[in-house]
Amino acid sequence: MLTRKLSPLQMAIMAAALAVVLFPVFWILMTSIKPPTDWNASPAIWVPTKPTLVNFKTLFDPDALREYGVGGVSQSATKAVLGSLLASLVATALSVAIGLLAAIGISRYGNGSKATPLIILSGRMFPPAAIAVPFVIIFSSIGLTDSYVGLIAIYVAATLPFSTWMLKSFVDDLPREIEEAAMIDGLSRLRAHLTVTIPLIRGGLFATTMFIFILNWSEFMFALVLAYSNISTIPVQLAKYVTATAGTLYGVQAALAVLAMVPLVIVGYLIQSHLARGMTFGAIKQ
Amino acid sequence: MQGTPQETTQPVLILDGLRKSFRGKTALTGVSFAVPRASLTVILGCAGAGKTTTLRLIAGLDQPDAGRVVIGGRDVSGWEPKDRDIAMILDNLALYPNRTGYANIASPLLIRGEPPEEIERKVTEMATMLKVAHTLQRLPKTMSGGERQRIALGRALIRTPSLFLLDEPLSSLDAMLRIELRAELKRLQREQGHSFLLATPDFTEAMAVADTVVMLRQGRVVQIARPQDLYDDPVDREAATFVGAPQINLAAASHVPGEGGGQILFAATRIAVPPHLRDGVASGPRDFELGIRPENLALADPGGAQIRARLADIEPLGLKSVLTVRNEAAELRVLVESAETHALTLNQAVGLNLTNTPKLLAFDPSSGQRLRP
Repeated sequence: MLTRKLSPLQMAIMAAALAVVLFPVFWILMTSIKPPTDWNASPAIWVPTKPTLVNFKTLFDPDALREYGVGGVSQSATKAVLGSLLASLVATALSVAIGLLAAIGISRYGNGSKATPLIILSGRMFPPAAIAVPFVIIFSSIGLTDSYVGLIAIYVAATLPFSTWMLKSFVDDLPREIEEAAMIDGLSRLRAHLTVTIPLIRGGLFATTMFIFILNWSEFMFALVLAYSNISTIPVQLAKYVTATAGTLYGVQAALAVLAMVPLVIVGYLIQSHLARGMTFGAIKQ
Repeated sequence: MQGTPQETTQPVLILDGLRKSFRGKTALTGVSFAVPRASLTVILGCAGAGKTTTLRLIAGLDQPDAGRVVIGGRDVSGWEPKDRDIAMILDNLALYPNRTGYANIASPLLIRGEPPEEIERKVTEMATMLKVAHTLQRLPKTMSGGERQRIALGRALIRTPSLFLLDEPLSSLDAMLRIELRAELKRLQREQGHSFLLATPDFTEAMAVADTVVMLRQGRVVQIARPQDLYDDPVDREAATFVGAPQINLAAASHVPGEGGGQILFAATRIAVPPHLRDGVASGPRDFELGIRPENLALADPGGAQIRARLADIEPLGLKSVLTVRNEAAELRVLVESAETHALTLNQAVGLNLTNTPKLLAFDPSSGQRLRP
């Protein structure tokens, strides 16, 4: 992909940046295969001498750690993984779909007023912690706490400003005359947007979907306050690996974190070409 | 939409008092004109005159603030572009960047669900006529500006709507191709009996193809005329200078009343007021501007000539040349045969005679309006 030769200085800077970014990933990967005795070892053990999969096993079999004398892990992570997948996938799909409609409406038809995009963004100006409690109060009175419907509703509401704004910028960058020419060719407004606009902002659409998925996948605050027993997500589950006897189960946490990375890495790999194009789309004046 | 019986005398398009402003900025202030069926009407105007806005309102891409658009006898206000039975070339062409030349030209036919073999035949024919057959399998980004322009033309001309709207359809072509293609457009329009409404800032293009010219300025129609009438009988000074190259001479002149209409004093000479200017000049201000087309001046022997001046510049145009001559009262451009310039040297004394006084124009110097009876 990169055809330009880098100078030694550039290489060094690049290597330093990579080291900073990748070190935590490396540490988590290593911790996830460390036995409990190595988790908190001092001096730190960088690469475990006796790697084990027991941490991963513990995720789905809470008693697996007993062979190391660690008990009190109460719950399997299966529900959290499925819950995260469900909530993130559905919320992302809804957020991007609604955001796309809003983006086209604002960009092409000036729907609402000039302030509409700002008003939409204003929802993001409160820290999630500030609105989490009111949400819980409202949701408990309408029976949406501890349910995926409630969680997804919050996720859509929380990410909609981002999907709207990102998609609006991609639609803005696409010359509207391309759609207009299609309408003159004989397409209705709706069909022109479906068959002309959307394919042409495909890169942006993928990039937005990816971004919203990451937001939902890693969300913690809302899930924490909404999840009692029926629902769970990976970030909430991560916080539960603290036992009275053995303290924080770093290895198990790391194992779950590694699992949580998998879908992102796969999706990221699959769409990297679209992602790159999506990111540079705005830079090109057509 | 097509094939409904129409009275042939009815204009294919009627614009009635179109007004449009964008964010408080007025673009059109009451544009009304009609396009006769099977004619080529040109909207002529400089950038910002409202040409594109007018075409977009006709196409239904924008909605007018007031006024009506009537296409084929039906008021199409509020209709979607696809229902208006028009084809249009937008001024930035707006090709599908992700589709080949073939797919771009074929697009309107594909949408209408024409049979594939019919589409292929029509597209190939159109591409051959427009000389873009070699680009059919390529994406727009790999085409030259001229090729893109012709693909856009093909995409519009592949249909037979009741009205074609062409927004500067030849602007990004090189000069040779532009002249060739505008002749081709004109031929196509005449042979097929199409109705064209073409917008251009280029008066030579308007003169070359138009049956009727609608001159637009600052969002209003200033003159509707046949091309030659626009040239000979412009509505005001701005119209006179916009049409014609080299530009019309505007000489400060004054009217000296007297017998037989009196005399006009200009460029340090006097001429009798020509009959067609008599009433206008007599009723207007004493000082006015005299418009003289460069081809209505001719070189003459300085001794007996009406105007005596010095030669300031020679600009050869090939067959013709433009001379700039200057005296104490005026600077005039003169269009002459290039053969006449061989013996001339800069700064020499030259004489000029008016050759076509019936074509002289008189303008009010402050308003620019024609001085007419």
